[in-house]
Amino acid sequence: MDITNSLHLDLWIKIATLIIMVFYIVFTLVVFTQVKAMSQIVRIPQTEQVIKTIAIIHIILAISLFLFALVIL
Amino acid sequence: MLKETNMTDIFIAPKHAEKLQKSPAAHTAPHAPRIPHRYAGMSILSSFREHPKGIFFQNQKSDETILLFLRAHIITNFSWVIISVFLIILPTILLIVLPMFGVNIFSSLLVVRFGIVYVFFYYLLVFSYAFTNFLHWFYNVFIVTTDQIVDVDYSNIVVNHMAVTNISQIQDAKYTQTGFIATFFNFGNISVQTAGTEECFEESAVPKPKEAAQIIGSIIGKRQKFLK
Repeated sequence: MDITNSLHLDLWIKIATLIIMVFYIVFTLVVFTQVKAMSQIVRIPQTEQVIKTIAIIHIILAISLFLFALVIL
Repeated sequence: MLKETNMTDIFIAPKHAEKLQKSPAAHTAPHAPRIPHRYAGMSILSSFREHPKGIFFQNQKSDETILLFLRAHIITNFSWVIISVFLIILPTILLIVLPMFGVNIFSSLLVVRFGIVYVFFYYLLVFSYAFTNFLHWFYNVFIVTTDQIVDVDYSNIVVNHMAVTNISQIQDAKYTQTGFIATFFNFGNISVQTAGTEECFEESAVPKPKEAAQIIGSIIGKRQKFLK
């Protein structure tokens, strides 16, 4: 089936993709919250900032991809 | 006149004295406890560490010292690392293999646009998979202090559990080591039995389980001697 022939199908796929990405952004926020919570339970100062930074980059990438998809699709 | 070469040395200053002054222990504050070099510092990937420096936990008392820090052996990460590597190279494999079966990936601009977004999304998902697995390993720790035993379980991204028991409640420390890989890499499960209806503390796949059980056993023994 050629998806390019159906404009409506394109639209639905785009909406579905964006909804999934919103869920993914929420997931990245949960990961960051968990990292913050766990770093308070077990404090390893030398690695704490590294892991938090990775979690923040993860959120930024997810939001960037959502915006990119919003524009490009 | 005596020649310098004929003179007998009465005292030779130790050359290693300078090295001792330059050692990390010499830079520590005079009041700081002297920690053997093998205990100093803790790497991000440490799984077994006696008297670790630079690690603390919630509700730790000011006079409480961590005697033993345990987490699963690093080799237990092997499976998810291999899966992640495979998932990273999978799109490249598909890019090579699919045209061989006559599938044209770049059939239209729309497909290419969707493809770019999905490929980026796919790599983010792979990253999430690897990162959450790493967090699961990193935050599943077992800490033995002078006063208590702390077991932090990080089951998945939304579940974490922390159990604490007093050293006086501990009755027994056991370890089990089964299987070829566990024996080869010297890791196993350790369980600490507490008194009465208290729960049993367990940590899976810790390195040097025999040594860990012995250390916990010696702590219990010392405490019992002290109480007598």
